[in-house]
Amino acid sequence: MESSDEAGRVVPRRLHVVPVLLLVAIAAWEILATRCSATSVPGDPAWAKAAQFVRAGYQPGDLIVFAPGWVDPVGRMHLGDLIPIEVAARMDAARYGRIWELSIRGARSPDTAGLTPVAITRGAGIEIRRYERTPVEVVADLRDRVTTARVEGGGGGPTVELAEVGFAPHRCLQVVPTAGVPLRITFPGVPLGTELVGYVGIADVFTRRDNRAPAQLDVELGGQVIASATAGVDDGWIRFAAPTTPGTAEVTFIARASSAHRLICFAAEARR
Amino acid sequence: MRTERLVGWILALLTTILVVGNQQDVGVARDEIVYMQHGSRYAEWWLGLVTLDHGIGKATVTKTWGGPGATDNNREHPPLIKTLFGLSEKLFHDGLGVDEVTAYRLPTAVLHGVCVLLVYLMALALWGFAEAVAGALLLMLLPRALFHAGLAAFDAPIMTLWFASIYAYWKCLDGRKWPWQAGVVFGLALATKHNAFLLPFAIGTHYLVLGVRNRAAGWRGIVLHRWRLIVSFVVLGPLTLVAVWPWLWFDTFQHVRDWVAFHTTHVHYNFEYLGDNWNAPRFPWHTALVTTLFTVPLVTLAGAALGAVSWWSRRAQVTDLSRAPGLLLALSAAASIGPFFLGTTPIFGAEKHWMPALPSICLVAGVGVVWAARLAIGFIDTLRPVPARGRAAILGGVVALVVAAAAVETVTAQPYALTWYSALAGGAPGGADRGMNRQFWGVAARGVLPVLAAEAPPAGSPPRPVYTHDASPAWGLYQRLGLVPGTLPDAGREQVGIDRSKLAIVIHEKHFNRHDYLVWKSYGTVQPIFVLRAHGVPIVSVYRRP
Repeated sequence: MESSDEAGRVVPRRLHVVPVLLLVAIAAWEILATRCSATSVPGDPAWAKAAQFVRAGYQPGDLIVFAPGWVDPVGRMHLGDLIPIEVAARMDAARYGRIWELSIRGARSPDTAGLTPVAITRGAGIEIRRYERTPVEVVADLRDRVTTARVEGGGGGPTVELAEVGFAPHRCLQVVPTAGVPLRITFPGVPLGTELVGYVGIADVFTRRDNRAPAQLDVELGGQVIASATAGVDDGWIRFAAPTTPGTAEVTFIARASSAHRLICFAAEARR
Repeated sequence: MRTERLVGWILALLTTILVVGNQQDVGVARDEIVYMQHGSRYAEWWLGLVTLDHGIGKATVTKTWGGPGATDNNREHPPLIKTLFGLSEKLFHDGLGVDEVTAYRLPTAVLHGVCVLLVYLMALALWGFAEAVAGALLLMLLPRALFHAGLAAFDAPIMTLWFASIYAYWKCLDGRKWPWQAGVVFGLALATKHNAFLLPFAIGTHYLVLGVRNRAAGWRGIVLHRWRLIVSFVVLGPLTLVAVWPWLWFDTFQHVRDWVAFHTTHVHYNFEYLGDNWNAPRFPWHTALVTTLFTVPLVTLAGAALGAVSWWSRRAQVTDLSRAPGLLLALSAAASIGPFFLGTTPIFGAEKHWMPALPSICLVAGVGVVWAARLAIGFIDTLRPVPARGRAAILGGVVALVVAAAAVETVTAQPYALTWYSALAGGAPGGADRGMNRQFWGVAARGVLPVLAAEAPPAGSPPRPVYTHDASPAWGLYQRLGLVPGTLPDAGREQVGIDRSKLAIVIHEKHFNRHDYLVWKSYGTVQPIFVLRAHGVPIVSVYRRP
């Protein structure tokens, strides 16, 4: 790190100022960045203004989402009266034709993936995006037909629950199959469209921790398995889908788990 | 030299004052309640013993210190710090009128000051005054460590006792005849927290390396070159542990085995890291690395990196070459943080569990900062001679700027330091974006108590039960302190408590999302009336039953 001049004296090189310049630059940046990040998230006045804007254009049946996910409680505080529990705990966003996305920090909600906003309004750090699309038409929601379900095999009948699956809320049909014994849940006379879409996951973080076995769900139509999904403890809310022929049919879900107390949560819709 | 040592004591005092002042706004952690309650009982037992109110029979010891269950009388944790909490409460709260929570937390604050002092003294001995001041200040201004030092818990104390063990061992390597200090301090560390089981890895390795230098004397030179130290650790360490822990006064081996077994088979609590909830091994190998990068001020880490380079390049100039202090500090940090790279060690609590690595980091950072400043002064001197006063000004300016950056991070972090992340992560919002753990122990509930108090019915009216979630253990204390009106009783746990409640709080952690949904179901709404935030990041929601 050192060199000598003509007289033989030790002379520090210019490189010797690099460490201190590095430290000074980091310190100065850290002071500014710390203060900037601490004030970078919009506060309640900005949210109140954004909420006012959304309310002015809101129509019944619209979906309101917030991004990133961690700001969801703040969004619900300002607009939660426009978000029924069933909507907050939706199976997915496909049945919503209009979606309001309130975003900070440039984030996108998974519910608007692939969509292009028809309107964008920016103000005080919150971007309000409105999306419009042709929603799917649901001809049957299996959750609404729980009372018609017929059960065979190991375990009790399904109940409709508001459950935590993959750390998100989902209104679903919950079953607890006997370990190693398939549980068949049959819905008679289900109106079908062109597609049956559903999701499955394991409810409750603590049972997922203490019991690491996956859950298996098969969907049978006319004695044929048309869709299958395996949900592991860290997989969250797993989508499955199968084409169907419009008409009326008996749909059977077969839930399996290799160990006891596995809370299997699923939902399914027949879509036109 | 006396003046220089006095500066160390002043820094220690300032640290303690800073911790005591800072904790005033920090809520009561779930585990603190347990440690406070048992600490008071332990203190009463000792006072009863010295006043001859009771003896040391198995029955009286078991009643206070143990029992058949794995967690009876909190016997799964050693008692030293809890006992100090209890004695402190008796002296400062009962005796001198200091508020109850501060009195319980005072021992931790004092020990944090001691840690700063030890770092100062070691740096002073090895390098000099400037390095000592810089290192001590950087330790004082660690946002998460400052927070933990304000809690009546074990994590800050074990950092101090760990480093005190390293310091005592280093001092006792001088060949003194009776190196009792090393064994006693190690015993106190064992009596503080089980992290101390890792200390022999650092100290033992260092001892053997010094021995290998002495290999010309054969295996005796390698193994027995400071044999009195070995005796001190092996004999005085366990004796000290047993002396302060009456539960070990009988069935000693069984009770030690129970203690160790509790921690080797500990349940994996939920912990969010990089967007995923972790509650079972294998854990990511990089958890400790990334979390340290995000929870120690960047300027401190940069100083430590420079310090490591400078220490290595100037190792021949270290005043204490024969005792290899650089190696000792490196081994100390490695032994403390190393297990968290294995993928099987629980990662909940994150950086609080490897805090003993921090004194090494800060001491070396102090060396690095001063080295960088002096290099620059040397360069400037070749361009234009710098007078002594100018040199001091440049050195002081660089140290001040570095310390200011750490100070800004530290001030910004409080009082919700578990939600805070450094500028490198983008602060609290950056930490949330990256899916870093939001908080734990229910501390943040303190921030919504005024909101709840405003919802309280007047005295004499029917109560409005509150679902208190993770603040449930602290609720009685909050009521005793007057922070929660008596008309807001705790409604109880889980769904039964929620259904009984008129108000509810949910403390935001990824695995606590389910509590939001339980409240929605019972209250019929997803809309909280208030959301407490730390720099915009939600930490507690308050619901009112419509």
